[in-house]
Amino acid sequence: MPTRRCPLAVLLRTAIVAAGLLAATAMQGRADESPDAALAGLLTQAHDAAKCGQPGIDRLVRVLCSGHLRVGVRDYYPLFGIESHGEHKGYEVDVARAIAAKLGVEPEFLKVNAGSRIPLVDSGEIDVAIATMGHNTQRDGQVRFIRPHYYQSETVLVGARDLKVGGWNDVRGRTVCATVGNGSNIELVAHGARLMLFAEAVMLPDRLKDLSCTLAAQDDSFFAYYFTEPDFAAQFAPKFGFSQVPWGMGVARHGSAQLARALDLISQIFHRDGVFLEAARANHIGTAFLQRQHAVWQRPACNDAAGSTNPSCILPPFDATTQSTPIAGEVLGFERWVQSLTGIDLQMPMLKTVPAWSMFVTGVANTLVLIVGAIAATLVFALTLGAAAGSRFRLLRWPVRAVTITLQSTPIVLTLVIVSAVMDAVMPYSSAVALTAAILALGLANGCNAGQAIAEAMVTLRAEREGLPSHALDLFVRALSRSSTQIVAFLINAAKGSPIASFIGAPEILSAMTDISSFSSGRATTYTFLLVFYTAIVIVVIALCRRMERLLERSYAHA
Amino acid sequence: MSELLSPPMLRFLPRFLEGMTVNFEIAMIALCLGLILGVLLAAGRLAGGILGGATAGATGLMRAAPTFVVMFFVLNALPHGDLSGMMIVALSLVPYSAAYISDSGVDAMRQYRLGSPLASFLFFPNVARAFFVLVMSSGAGAAIGVREGITALLTHAEHLPSLGDKLGCFAIGVACFAIPLQAGFAVIGLIQRRLGRMAVGYSFGTAAPGD
Repeated sequence: MPTRRCPLAVLLRTAIVAAGLLAATAMQGRADESPDAALAGLLTQAHDAAKCGQPGIDRLVRVLCSGHLRVGVRDYYPLFGIESHGEHKGYEVDVARAIAAKLGVEPEFLKVNAGSRIPLVDSGEIDVAIATMGHNTQRDGQVRFIRPHYYQSETVLVGARDLKVGGWNDVRGRTVCATVGNGSNIELVAHGARLMLFAEAVMLPDRLKDLSCTLAAQDDSFFAYYFTEPDFAAQFAPKFGFSQVPWGMGVARHGSAQLARALDLISQIFHRDGVFLEAARANHIGTAFLQRQHAVWQRPACNDAAGSTNPSCILPPFDATTQSTPIAGEVLGFERWVQSLTGIDLQMPMLKTVPAWSMFVTGVANTLVLIVGAIAATLVFALTLGAAAGSRFRLLRWPVRAVTITLQSTPIVLTLVIVSAVMDAVMPYSSAVALTAAILALGLANGCNAGQAIAEAMVTLRAEREGLPSHALDLFVRALSRSSTQIVAFLINAAKGSPIASFIGAPEILSAMTDISSFSSGRATTYTFLLVFYTAIVIVVIALCRRMERLLERSYAHA
Repeated sequence: MSELLSPPMLRFLPRFLEGMTVNFEIAMIALCLGLILGVLLAAGRLAGGILGGATAGATGLMRAAPTFVVMFFVLNALPHGDLSGMMIVALSLVPYSAAYISDSGVDAMRQYRLGSPLASFLFFPNVARAFFVLVMSSGAGAAIGVREGITALLTHAEHLPSLGDKLGCFAIGVACFAIPLQAGFAVIGLIQRRLGRMAVGYSFGTAAPGD
């Protein structure tokens, strides 16, 4: 722990800093308006040794009295905040050191992560968090963000260098690896990408290297470190960026008004003087945003004491709010009631926000279309292939048998991808095309097996009725009755296999719920609901099919 | 189709075959776990009473649960610690394999009780058939990034420029899956025919296993 210093020494040091700032502003000739003058005045006013012991003092006064600024930083975020053998390094660490120097105090680093940084600021255990914290509208209510922002990240799509992906049109229908809960997932989903979700961002570079992922989406600040590795940079390249999020330092919303003001002014000065820019260059991170900000804060309109509140100078927070459904309140109440009653953390994100509700309803409707379509397609292919495979004409029978053997030997995922690839080649990708491709693939895969059962039944019937006159249609109907158990089994299989359609981006309920869970909480509830939903649907399909089977058997008995 | 014989294609083939071994591993794990659970369920069903009803209900639910959804359920809703993707896919196939084994087991025991021990031996080719179905179903692992055969195939195909090249690549994949599958089914067919002949012989009192 650092030692507490003599108040006289702190007073002397602050006075020197304030005098320096005043001198700088005097040189600019704008003593009353510049951020430097405002900062000097604020520090002089805040530093009063007599206030140090008083209760309820602003955190700026406490920082100046103690001579230490407690900064929450990341300890494993390469290039931004790394701790090794007790030594902190990175862009944010350098920013914290520069701020502490400007205040005339010593920085004291405390380790924070994405989950702990706001609670630690709120509880007063740290004075400021400089910890890769994106400034969004949701967090505005939890912490006071310092303006102007000290960095800006964006979600970047990374893929193999030879992969041609230049914009959203090239992403539609592709699988993109992303992390659960990433706010930019909703944008990927909206542009037709299929998401493969991972719990931790650190898994993404490895998945790219072992070719499990063709594209990966994550903060450019995260990939910045990997692009410093020659091997990674030789293999992969950023394709394009989206979802820009400004990063802000955060202080407590209460009891930190003066500290927040001081940090606002320091950030203005650091942008104007290129301090942030130099720190970024020293740490090999992207500087495009900081260069733009450097130009902005040199403008006379922004370079004054009110610049940090001037809407034409500062950036707005990332809009992370989503419109709530009319029943969101009741759903929340129900979730709490279930938790208080059973202790189960029930979450129903699909009922709480308008985008999630819309995806959910569309997903349910598409699932029903998919299941009915897959069953109908199975029946059509079964009858067609069965009639052809049971035919007496070899030229008709043999090709159908070859097709049947091929389809039987192809994993359903592959059949789905092949049908989808062919359809994509003849018409532009859309949800309807993906749904149609899935219906065709499920129909083909199951219909060929049911058709084979029909053909085998026709062969046995011909053998049994050898020498007897029989009409082809009569034989076919009898064969249908005889193979009814097999036909029904494959109709059920088609319904059961329908969720696999999500693999090619068909917007059924599994796809919809995966997308919803990618930007909201409640994964356990979501997937439990999915399992119950699909199992119930399959049970209903089984009951209906059994009824159909009995009808077919009855018709056989009559025949 | 020139891309098919290019060096990347030659690099892809070993990766694909390596991936296919993962498909077989997944199927073997799912079958072993399914055998244990399925035999227990079959025993419960044959016991009758409340236990019989409960195990029949459980088997019905397992039969109806879509494998692909079960996989996402295991991945996202169950605490799976350090389980690999391969194990998650294998676990997701267990409800199917257990229900299938349970059904086949109950059928085999009924045949045995009806005085047809040879018909009850059909349980074994049925298990072999389930194994090949599991191999084919294990391709679903591609959806969660498991490095199995389909993943290798799709990853390679994404880099191919034309639909023709992609279809050529897929055809190689289909052939690689078809050879062991059709060979397996041929062996199953042989066993069934042999059992059938033995059953005919047995019914005339000429030969029976164990005589």
